[in-house]
Amino acid sequence: MATSTDTGPTATRYIAEFKEFLEETWLGYALILPAAILMSVIIIYPTLRGIQLAFFEASLLNPEQQTFVGLQNIAQMIADTTFREALWHTVLLTSVAVSLQYLLGLGLALALKEKVPGAGLFRSLSMITWVLPIIVMVIVFRFMTQSGFGPVNIVLGSLGMETAAWFGRPGVAFPLIVLMHVWRNTPFYAIALMAAMRSIPETQYEAARLDGAGPLQQFRYITLPQISYVSMIMIVLHVIFTFNNFDIVYLSTGGGPLGNTEVLATYIYKQAFQQYAMGYAASIGVAMLLIMMVFTVVYASLEARE
Amino acid sequence: MATETNTRTAESTDRSFADRIDAWLAEDMSPKRALAVYAVIGVYIAFLLLPVAYMMMATFTSPDFLYSPRLVPALGELTLDNYVAVLSTGLFQQYFVNSAIVATSTTLLTLVVGTLAAYSLSRFEYFGRSGLLFSFLGTQMLPRVLVLIPFFLVMFTLGLIDSLLGIIIAHSVLGIPLGTWLLKGYFDDIPRSLDEAAKMDGCSHLDILWRIIVPMSLPGITVAGFYTFILSWNDFLFVSILSQTAATRTLPFGLQLFQSQNTIAWELLLTAATLTMIPVVLLFAVFQQWVVEGLATGGMKGS
Repeated sequence: MATSTDTGPTATRYIAEFKEFLEETWLGYALILPAAILMSVIIIYPTLRGIQLAFFEASLLNPEQQTFVGLQNIAQMIADTTFREALWHTVLLTSVAVSLQYLLGLGLALALKEKVPGAGLFRSLSMITWVLPIIVMVIVFRFMTQSGFGPVNIVLGSLGMETAAWFGRPGVAFPLIVLMHVWRNTPFYAIALMAAMRSIPETQYEAARLDGAGPLQQFRYITLPQISYVSMIMIVLHVIFTFNNFDIVYLSTGGGPLGNTEVLATYIYKQAFQQYAMGYAASIGVAMLLIMMVFTVVYASLEARE
Repeated sequence: MATETNTRTAESTDRSFADRIDAWLAEDMSPKRALAVYAVIGVYIAFLLLPVAYMMMATFTSPDFLYSPRLVPALGELTLDNYVAVLSTGLFQQYFVNSAIVATSTTLLTLVVGTLAAYSLSRFEYFGRSGLLFSFLGTQMLPRVLVLIPFFLVMFTLGLIDSLLGIIIAHSVLGIPLGTWLLKGYFDDIPRSLDEAAKMDGCSHLDILWRIIVPMSLPGITVAGFYTFILSWNDFLFVSILSQTAATRTLPFGLQLFQSQNTIAWELLLTAATLTMIPVVLLFAVFQQWVVEGLATGGMKGS
């Protein structure tokens, strides 16, 4: 490049540079084009249509015919008790499951980062629940708690306690769903938090010890602040995952018994694909999206302020 | 140690409990501490693995045991009948093949598209670059059920309902954002001086990508590929919408083969579930070191 421009006049040099710049830019766009097209057609366009749909009344059976109804879907949503219950279940499930996952994951991370023999093996074993298909996890839990001869009931029965089909029991189904979320995702927190803890230089702890800080203080003033970024990533990711998750609830209880575990995702699915109320379902989806955006922005700005 | 305690009792009076815990923890790796670590890990691993291990054991037993109020089978009740029955079911074979085709194609498509996109994001400057990455990642936040309704209509228009290609494209789109982001993190770590050197030697951009960037990011490509494969293999929601006949059904959706309205053939369902998870568990076993490391550090890298 340099050799060709040295000899020519300034204008030629500028043109050459501009050409190269254009070529580079063109190639940059060309390389990202396949991804951009796929994303736009399959996800981004449907999302925008979904948001638009929230202001229409439309049936899945006859999608061509759509009537603009303004904010009527939102009014319907506010008056809908099933929606309000589903919203409450979703918020409760998300906050309880994510808190438990974080606390257990933190405890497990503290244990896994210790240099005891065999910890490496445990570290690799623990992630296995995270790769299992959700349907397999649900089948395992349903089998363990089934009414006839599920192992949980065999144990309970031999202790002289009550046996039941626990997924069909109001008051038990919801905690079971929380348990499945915890079972599946806690190891992920543990692995990520452990990696963050290990990247803290040992010298900081040594200095703190010289200053007379005990392990609890070291944890509070050295470990916690330095894992707060990874903690935020983990918590935001899992709040979004749990809040939006459909499979775990739908496959294990389908929202039952008696709507006890109905969450927003399953309610939308039923509205859209069983009641064919596309517009109403879309408006609930938009509400979910707004809640998640507000949550993420607030959390990220709180984290940035610290 | 003694001076340490003295200085802190001066600070506050009700620290004694915390001090006792501190003193206990401060004995660096005493047998007590090692034991505590093992206890925590042991209890947790049992909680994680016992249910799965019990299911796997149950698949090797006859219904005589499975429908009896006993927790441990007798030796005579061990059998491979369930595996013979499930594996010889024609539909199960078909679902398995479908799953393999879909997950493999999804992984390849995502890796090719994602690698090109990540290279573009990592090495080029152009208008809208950060906006693109941001909107890719933003799609991860969308409630899938919201996307699903118009998505169904789009796929219908494109004629991709009830076709494996439609499922492959849908799964790829789910994998591309995180895959691209992970790959970009790995690409960013490769010094640009290598690119420049290759350029001097007359390499084109695609040469650089293929000869330098890709070989040096194999761990990252493995992690992204593994993530995409399990995402596709495990997906239920999109297959349940796109698949209308047995010809396009994959395993997670196909497992209902063994349960009807009122009865569940547990011995077959558990066996089919075990066979469904074996490929992802095997892949995980092979790649776990890279995967665990990549997931642990990926979050920090890409930012």
